[in-house]
Amino acid sequence: MLRARGVTKSYGQDETRVTALRGASFDIRRGEFVLIVGASGSGKTTLLNMIGLLSSPTSGRVIIEGVDTTRLGSSGLAAFRNRRLGFVAQFANLLVDLTILENVMLPRQIAGGGWARGDRPRRDALELLRSVGLEAQAAQRANKVSGGQAQRAAIARGLINRPSIVLADEPTGNLDSVSSESVVRLMKDTARRLNQTFVVVTHDREYFGEVDRVITVSDGRVYEEEDDPRVAAATATAATRKREVLP
Amino acid sequence: MGYRPRLAKRMLFNRRGSLIGAVLAVTIGILVIHVNFVIFQGLYDAIVRDIGDYRTGDIIVTDEDSFITRSDLAVASWFERNPSVEAVAPRLSASAEINITKGGRLIEETRVPIVGVDPYRDIRASTVHETISEGSYVFARNSVVLGTNVARDLGGAAVGDSVKVMIVDRWGEEQVRRLVVSGIASSPGGQGFDYTVVMHIDTLRDMMAREGETGSFMVRMADEGQAAAVRDLFLRSFPNDDFVAETIEEASEEQLQGFRSGIAMINMIGYFGMMSSAFAIVTIQMMIVNGKTREIGILRALGARRRDVLVIFIMQGMLIGAIGAGVGTAAGLSYTFYAKETKMSFNNSLPLEVSYDWAKILQTALTSFALAVVASLYPSYRATKLVPVEAMRAV
Ligand SMILES: Nc1ncnc2c1ncn2[C@@H]1O[C@H](COP(=O)(O)OP(=O)(O)OP(=O)(O)O)[C@@H](O)[C@H]1O
Ligand SMILES: [Mg+2]
Repeated sequence: MLRARGVTKSYGQDETRVTALRGASFDIRRGEFVLIVGASGSGKTTLLNMIGLLSSPTSGRVIIEGVDTTRLGSSGLAAFRNRRLGFVAQFANLLVDLTILENVMLPRQIAGGGWARGDRPRRDALELLRSVGLEAQAAQRANKVSGGQAQRAAIARGLINRPSIVLADEPTGNLDSVSSESVVRLMKDTARRLNQTFVVVTHDREYFGEVDRVITVSDGRVYEEEDDPRVAAATATAATRKREVLP
Repeated sequence: MGYRPRLAKRMLFNRRGSLIGAVLAVTIGILVIHVNFVIFQGLYDAIVRDIGDYRTGDIIVTDEDSFITRSDLAVASWFERNPSVEAVAPRLSASAEINITKGGRLIEETRVPIVGVDPYRDIRASTVHETISEGSYVFARNSVVLGTNVARDLGGAAVGDSVKVMIVDRWGEEQVRRLVVSGIASSPGGQGFDYTVVMHIDTLRDMMAREGETGSFMVRMADEGQAAAVRDLFLRSFPNDDFVAETIEEASEEQLQGFRSGIAMINMIGYFGMMSSAFAIVTIQMMIVNGKTREIGILRALGARRRDVLVIFIMQGMLIGAIGAGVGTAAGLSYTFYAKETKMSFNNSLPLEVSYDWAKILQTALTSFALAVVASLYPSYRATKLVPVEAMRAV
């Protein structure tokens, strides 16, 4: 469903040039729950931005649902993000000028061309808010809810257009352990219930327990490990177990 | 409501300071124009009003190079047959020497303008009689009304005093009359006969040896809109007389021309004020855009196109323009209403002629609205330059 091929991203010019990602190639299949881990500054966010079509790779290709996204223009990318991708960031995910409900409806309204149309987006958004346990907060302004609630709302928003992939960058990075656990549980339940693909960057590996795959980023290169629970505990030290997916 | 107008509104309304600042900028721009209009157009119209009321009426008839020899009755009845004419009054002007003996001392004034009026016709065609602050108009042939400044220069001449008036007649002879002061004229703003002496026209004709002759006729219209048409009709009806007939605008053109260009300049200043309001809007909207960098990134990440971001901030500009134009126009109208109700005067003397010029009010409101929208173009454009990665940026 998603294929990354030789994705490279460099920032800056000449002597200040930083190559944050070097030839990342991997596939993600429908319904997979994928974790991206790695040290700070290793290139995880950069990788997520590439597959999230938030910025374009210096070279390489990202193919989603058979569409080579590197061929799309700005509006085409926007439409693609709107319909096929959901986003959850580390914090300040929501538009503070809107209510929780309005935030969740937003991708649907954007898809509708910006004009209010029927009651359907509202009903779907309320339904999603119910499923993430935020019914009571629907009418509250986004800056009046807790961090955990904001992340749950962001997940609901990420789901409203039934995207191919939900991308999350350290969704628990700003939360206490109780909120973190509940946000992780929500993502994993949703993944199972809707067969929804998730790609999650995290430093908090332990909250996630068993996942389908773990991709490790180290110094801009991508490695993959079989997420065998028997060896999971050892991964942090077992750098030797990492194998390069592609040269 | 679609998400774009909703965001346009909330991003503005949730920042009170920005909202108030932006609306105030537009409001002040409009208010300046309204205040300018009330004061300077009001002053202009007041001067036109006073020239008409005191001196020319709506149409002034004179002779090309001499005195009018047709009888008062002939000219007046021609005009008064026309239903759009209110009244006609003959006048005759000269220059006089005038003296008074007060407490045994002789006080003399030379070269005082003197106007002869037919009192019964004059009170219908002109408002000079309303400026008589003490006493009465020149109903008696031996009476005289002194302008307040003339009375002062004559050592404080008062009603009941007798003055000597000397005029050189058409043959070069000095004619002297002793007349009794029947009233003192003092007009608000001093545009009236404050520097003039008024006497009965027949007395003046007699002194000038111009029996039955007239200097000018002032015609007061019931329907001012017909002034030009009546004037044309009059000139066609008396083709063999050397009449000159002008509407008030034509007659006072020279006097008003300079004033008009002054008003044009003050209006320009008003429009410059509006332009600086536009710059204030640019600044305020740039602040909003800069404060919403991440949120615009989120919008873009969620699939809003550049064009959608542009539309959001242009809508915001329209909102600022609409509210500003509304508040500004309301403030301007309140000021105009206040000026009218309190009969505001210029320099504490000349009462302004305050009017509502709806076309201009609408034009001002629309101009400031359009300027607000134009001002929003640059911040809107800058907002479209923000990239979707902002949404994921940590910190
Ligand atoms: N916009 C940018 N301009 C220049 N360099 C950048 C930019 N964004 C990231 N980098 C650099 O690219 C490298 C990878 O950054 P990235 O944000 O992808 O790391 P990360 O793995 O997400 O780190 P963290 O765990 O701290 O979030 C870093 O060296 C960073 O300094
Ligand atoms: Mg990161």
